[in-house]
This record gives sequence, C-alpha cells and structure tokens, in this order.
Amino acid sequence: MSSRVMRDFDLLLPESIEETIALLARHKDKSAVLAGGTDLLVALKFDYSIDNVISLALVPGLDELDFDPARGLTIGAKVTIADVLRSQDVKDNYPALWQAAQVFATPQLRNTATVLGNILRASPAGDCSAALYATGGSLLLKNAKGCRNIDLDDFWISYGVTARCVDELAISLHVPVPAQGEKSAFRRMTRTTEDLSKINAAVCLQMAGETCHKARVVMGCVGPTLLRLPKVEKMLAGAAVTPELLRDISNVVISEIAPIDDQRSSAEYRNKVAGVLVKRVIEAALNAKENDQ
Amino acid sequence: MKLLNLTINGRKHTKAVSPSMTLLDFLREELNLTGTKNGCDKGACGCCSVMIDDKPMLSCLLPALEAEGAAITTIEGIAKGNALHPVQEAMIEMGAIQCGFCTPAMVINGVHMLAKNNNPDDDEVKECISATVCRCTGYNSIEKALHLAASKMRRAAHDGS
Ligand SMILES: Cc1cc2nc3c(=O)[nH]c(=O)nc-3n(C[C@H](O)[C@H](O)[C@H](O)COP(=O)(O)OP(=O)(O)OC[C@H]3O[C@@H](n4cnc5c(N)ncnc54)[C@H](O)[C@@H]3O)c2cc1C
Ligand code: FES
Ligand code: FES
Repeated sequence: MSSRVMRDFDLLLPESIEETIALLARHKDKSAVLAGGTDLLVALKFDYSIDNVISLALVPGLDELDFDPARGLTIGAKVTIADVLRSQDVKDNYPALWQAAQVFATPQLRNTATVLGNILRASPAGDCSAALYATGGSLLLKNAKGCRNIDLDDFWISYGVTARCVDELAISLHVPVPAQGEKSAFRRMTRTTEDLSKINAAVCLQMAGETCHKARVVMGCVGPTLLRLPKVEKMLAGAAVTPELLRDISNVVISEIAPIDDQRSSAEYRNKVAGVLVKRVIEAALNAKENDQ
Repeated sequence: MKLLNLTINGRKHTKAVSPSMTLLDFLREELNLTGTKNGCDKGACGCCSVMIDDKPMLSCLLPALEAEGAAITTIEGIAKGNALHPVQEAMIEMGAIQCGFCTPAMVINGVHMLAKNNNPDDDEVKECISATVCRCTGYNSIEKALHLAASKMRRAAHDGS
C-alpha cells in the first residue's frame, strides 16, 4: 500500500447540484467537498480525517467559465487553473488572475486544481485567491434553504477558516466587469517554480492617465489570511504614480504585514522583500499597457 | 468497497475498490502496473503522472473512484509491443535515464506534449518537464531527448505524408 495511509472515508459521487446539497445537509461537518483534491487529498494523507468525501466529479453545471462585457466573469466550481490559463478573455480583462494561473504549481496540477478550491482552502498563500481579492469578487453559496452571495472581502476569516457554512456548496465566483482604465497584476516569489509562494502580491489599479483613482493592494504569506494593505491603497488613491511615491509605498508595506517563520521562508526575509514586491507588482500592472499596445 | 469501471491502456477493467484508495495505489497494488511511481505521494514530484482522458494528471491525488469511466494511459501503454515510442528511444539515446525513477513520468508528459506539438521550443520543453523532479540527470539530457524525439516525430510525419 501507499506510504501514507489515508484514514478510510466514503467517497460519495452525487450527479446533480441538488443531490450534492442534500448530501451536505445530511453529513454537515462530517463531510468535505472534493473538487480537484490537490489540497484535500494531501490533507487526508497527513493530519486530517473525515467520514464522507463528496466528489464533484459527476456533478454537471459547475464548469462555466464565461466572460460577458456587460456582466463580468463567472467561474464555476469545477473550472481548473488550466481552464483559466487557456482563456483569452481572462488574459485580456483580468491580467492578475491570468498571471497567477500562469505561475501556479505545475501543468499536471493545473489540470486538476480549481480556482474555487483555492478560495475555499483559505490559505494565505493562495495565488489565484490573491489575484481575485485584488480584482474583487463574490461567491455564490447554496444550501438546502437557498442561495446567498458573499463578497470575498468578507469571506476569509482566519487561517483555513471561511464564512462558508458546513452545508453550503460553492457554486461559482463572480468577478465584476473591469473598471475604465483598470490595470492589474500578480507577482510571487517561490523557492522552486512548482512550490507554493513564500510571498505573493496582487494589485488592481483604476488609472486615468498617470493618476490612480482607486487601488486594491493584496499581499499573501504575511498573515493568517491574505491581507489588503489599506495604507498603501490610500497612498495610491488620487495620486500620480511616480518613482518617489513607489519608494514611499515600498517603505510603508512593512508596517502593514505580520509574517511568520515557516518552512518556506522567514519573517525577516519576508519583511525585507515585501516592499520591493509591492513596488514591482504596481510597476508590472502599469507597464502592461506598453507591452500590450 | 465500490465497483470501478475504467479503461487502462486500451483494456477495460472492472474491480471493487476502497473509496479511499488513490488511482496510484489502484494501478500499482491492484493491477500490478508498477511503472507509475510513487515519489512523494503528495503532489510535489510528478512521478505518478498518468494521462487521464488525454490530460496528464497526478494519480496520487485522485481517488480511484473519480476515474470512473475514464480512459487512462500509463507508461505500460506507450510502446507498441516491442516498438518503443520515439520519446522512449530518444531518452535512451541521449542517456536521459539514470536511476529511471522519474522516467515514466517524463515520458508520459513528453508524449503528451509532442502529440499536440511536434515542434516545441526550449521553453515548451522546459515547461513540460518542470512538473517532474529528477534527482539524477540534471534535466539537460532529458531536454535534449525531447528535442530529439520531436525531430524523430517530425521526420516520421514527413515520411508518412
Ligand atoms: C504540489 C502542490 C503545489 C501547489 N502549488 C500551488 C500554487 O502554486 N499556488 C497555489 O495557490 N496553490 C498551490 N497548491 C494548493 C492547491 O493546489 C490549490 O489551493 C488548489 O487551487 C485547490 O483546488 P482543488 O480543486 O484541488 O481543491 P480541493 O482540494 O478539492 O479543495 C480545497 C478545499 O476547498 C473545499 N472546496 C472545494 N470546492 C468546494 C466547493 N465547490 N464548495 C465547498 N467547498 C469546496 C474542499 O472541501 C477543501 O477544503 C499546490 C498544491 C500542491 C499539492
Ligand atoms: S507521487 Fe504523485 S506527485 Fe509525487
Ligand atoms: S533518472 Fe533518476 S530521478 Fe530521473
């Protein structure tokens, strides 16, 4: 047998969203939803056990990856990182998300891992999660009683903990239409390319000429959840993005983060590079214009 | 135990499996297809790559029951009888196989890439092997082997047409 023996679980294979929700209602916290399994299976091999694993493999209606210029982007629960990477609409309209998909793990993992799984995992290192936190979005959750939308801003509570109720299935994520002059980018640092981020950052800027109207700036691996950097966002809002501003921003970042030592990096290193990474991700967002046109 | 039906290397199998058994363990322990390797058992080394409905995936992170109805290709299904696939030939010719542990995965991923594109550039070759850890070769010889395999396949396609 395998070197890591998983505690036995039952694998339930519902064939509709309704059936999935009924199973969640029955098994509640004795169950876990399985999308790509790249987080869940690893957890089940190490330190986690659960009686019922509810697989989405046979559930139809969760594959939608659709961009509508009037409504925005919809990402269904079974959409993989590879699907996102193949989408010209995502590449053109949501560069931060596309760039996060581009550096995400390895080709095989990208074929399996889902975007929503990344969000539901609630890791402070989630790459697509960081990009989507910057662009903004809301999750559609469904249980036997009905549906609700929850903004990503309110979704991650602490490490691995979300606002999802145990009987809720995440159906899709909705990302708004990019604002006029919107620029976004994602950057990360890793030990080897296939490893999880040791630190990552994403920005979404609303630009009018050289002036930034509104900014969302996100950093990962520097706290128990992904963090927005409100001071940096304030410094950008209404300002011309000059080299001097970027230098000031890069000095402020350290006051907004609280990294720890772990197997991927040290708090000291993360504190040292965080400001530089934020500066670079802003530059990347702004420079994209010249590259593309 | 639950019943699993799937096709592996063109052959249909029906077998009762435990719901918590991975596809990797199913291949190795139940079907004795030990060409697919267990390097890390947690998604990090790529050695357990198999093709599932024509996509390379990691068999260590997939419950076998999720592969219900799928068509799977493992390293055992790559050669046609005694005739090696050009990727296998090239791996031997370039000395790209040392201990051999990563080889099945390198071959599976190489075959998949070249089936889609028999003229890959350096970056595409690097991307293809990036998913699999090799502790022996330093990767250079594997890159060269995939380029050689690509040229073999281009020649075969040219001669055939
Ligand atoms: C070797 C390796 C490398 C990795 N590299 C990266 C990387 O570079 N960047 C990165 O961000 N992550 C990385 N990861 C982590 C992981 O691949 C991602 O978090 C992935 O997006 C998870 O998606 P999944 O579909 O596999 O989720 P799963 O494992 O299926 O699920 C993850 C969690 O979400 C829950 N869940 C999933 N879907 C739903 C739903 N629809 N409704 C309710 N709950 C749900 C599950 O119950 C589980 O708790 C890596 C993992 C491995 C093993
Ligand atoms: S054994 Fe599956 S990736 Fe290492
Ligand atoms: S040849 Fe030994 S691991 Fe690659």
